[in-house]
Amino acid sequence: MASPPNALCFGDEFPAAGAPCLVQVEEHGLTVTFTSDTADSEPESVPFSTLTVSAGGLDHDQLVVKWVGPKGERTLYLKNPDTIRAFRQAAPDHLSHSFAQAAEQVRQVRHRGRLVWSLVVGVVLSTVLGLWFGSDLLVEIAVSRIPVEWEQKLGESAYRDFLSHQEVMKEGPAVAALGEMTQRMTAQIPDNPYKFEVTVVKSDVINAFALPGGYVVVFTGLMKKAESGEEVAGVLSHELNHVLQRHGLERIVKNLGLMAVAAIVFGNQQGLVGMMKQLGVELFTLKFGREQETEADLKGLQLLQRARIDPSGMITFFERLSEKDQGRMEWLSTHPMSAARAERLKAELAALPKKLPEPFMFDWKQVQAGL
Amino acid sequence: MKSEVLYPGAFPMVRVELAAGENIKAESGAMVACSPTIDIESKMEGGFLGALSRKFLTGEKFFFQTLRASRGPGEALLAPTVPGEIVILELDGVNDYMVQKDGFLAGADGIVIENKMQGLSRGLLGGEGFFILNISGKGMLVLNSFGAIHKIELKPNQEYIVDNSHLVAWSSTTSYNIEKATSGWVASFTSGEGFVCRFRGPGLVYIQSRNPGSFGAWIRQFIPVSE
Repeated sequence: MASPPNALCFGDEFPAAGAPCLVQVEEHGLTVTFTSDTADSEPESVPFSTLTVSAGGLDHDQLVVKWVGPKGERTLYLKNPDTIRAFRQAAPDHLSHSFAQAAEQVRQVRHRGRLVWSLVVGVVLSTVLGLWFGSDLLVEIAVSRIPVEWEQKLGESAYRDFLSHQEVMKEGPAVAALGEMTQRMTAQIPDNPYKFEVTVVKSDVINAFALPGGYVVVFTGLMKKAESGEEVAGVLSHELNHVLQRHGLERIVKNLGLMAVAAIVFGNQQGLVGMMKQLGVELFTLKFGREQETEADLKGLQLLQRARIDPSGMITFFERLSEKDQGRMEWLSTHPMSAARAERLKAELAALPKKLPEPFMFDWKQVQAGL
Repeated sequence: MKSEVLYPGAFPMVRVELAAGENIKAESGAMVACSPTIDIESKMEGGFLGALSRKFLTGEKFFFQTLRASRGPGEALLAPTVPGEIVILELDGVNDYMVQKDGFLAGADGIVIENKMQGLSRGLLGGEGFFILNISGKGMLVLNSFGAIHKIELKPNQEYIVDNSHLVAWSSTTSYNIEKATSGWVASFTSGEGFVCRFRGPGLVYIQSRNPGSFGAWIRQFIPVSE
């Protein structure tokens, strides 16, 4: 046998895998020569008039030729493009329609495959792009659907947990002073859904933070560093606005969302459980984004203005803190100070209508002395 | 080149006798023992990009090893990683096989291994992933399975239903559709079958008697969790 087989022939007497054979296109029809020992080696001549053709095989990329011979039904699977071309050229008119149909079928299958894949790629791409550019919008929508009560419960559990390890200042001039600041500011917040709770914690850490739901902690370290009540009020106003703008919640939703997506993508279900456990820890390590900081700054400034508290205290305190590294300034690690930030606040302050500030009832030096 | 399966059953090996100068390619790490006349070379079948795509797309190994009887005739013993049967097929140049990604163990030098992308529904639901191996050419092909290998012979237009992820290899003259195991969606999943592949002949379908994914899920419950 000089030529290698170029087709598989199926029929009752052949093995299920098909008998390899050599198909040659002649003028009157096909000549099929079997190359294996199991089939008879006499070449079989099949006239065109007995043949039917269609597309078949796994990807509809093979030509299926059928005929009924003296030994029963035969099915031929042709893959070799040269043979198929020669067959199509030599085939008489009654087969050309079937050929056209088979070719159309192959085209359709390929077209459908391409269509489906481009659709999938398109959907995946647009989802990725949508998430990339629209994630803030999605987070906003998600956050807006979370009721304030949930936020309060979330914040409260973390807050109680945190305070149980801390020395809380229950009364005294410092507590009263913060109470007065909070009262003056919250009175200026229309439709305030939060009941703010501000706690003074004895610690040299120069820091203050707000948890979702209106729970604010101010460390005595920060109060010692401040030169006036207005400076502390500036920080407080900033923190209150983190709560009012629901920045903490936005952060949680964003982090959880990313982690949930990552967990699903990488198939780590245990990660989802761990993630929920981590939520409590997350609340304290939440770093707000730059945009959130700016928003809290500007809204804080406006709130101070409305409450008739001198807003320049906020700016001077920020500036002073950023000038030199004094002790454990954790507030700075989560609130990076930059010249640009102070400048922006100054510009904003200049744009606001001037209001005569009303001084606080307390004497700041006395408050500091009681710390 | 002569080959035979030793210890047929769960833990078989295949012995391949090579004449001087002959060589075979095998999955990386498949060689168990060989004559001192045989050199082991590692080769990126299909070039660097081909090997890279095979590694990332089908999960097959990046390198294939080539066992070459360069210093005279010799024999090599090959074995797969997982317990399961080995089957030896002869490719004659016209019968191609689609092989699921872990099914290839070894092949003669004349066989050609390519990645093939499946259609969306087959890739997503067929249990074999989007990429499978298309093995064609001429010569010996050694496949391995998880569990025993069962051969299904299909006459033209004869149909057979195979649970997905039990597939090892199937000839390219067959075609298959993915469908639900039962008529209802819920029953499809509660019956434990989910999706099945409806094969249509002519051709051969090799299936494995165990499902690697289910086995993995079963064994996971016995692995102590460290936390």
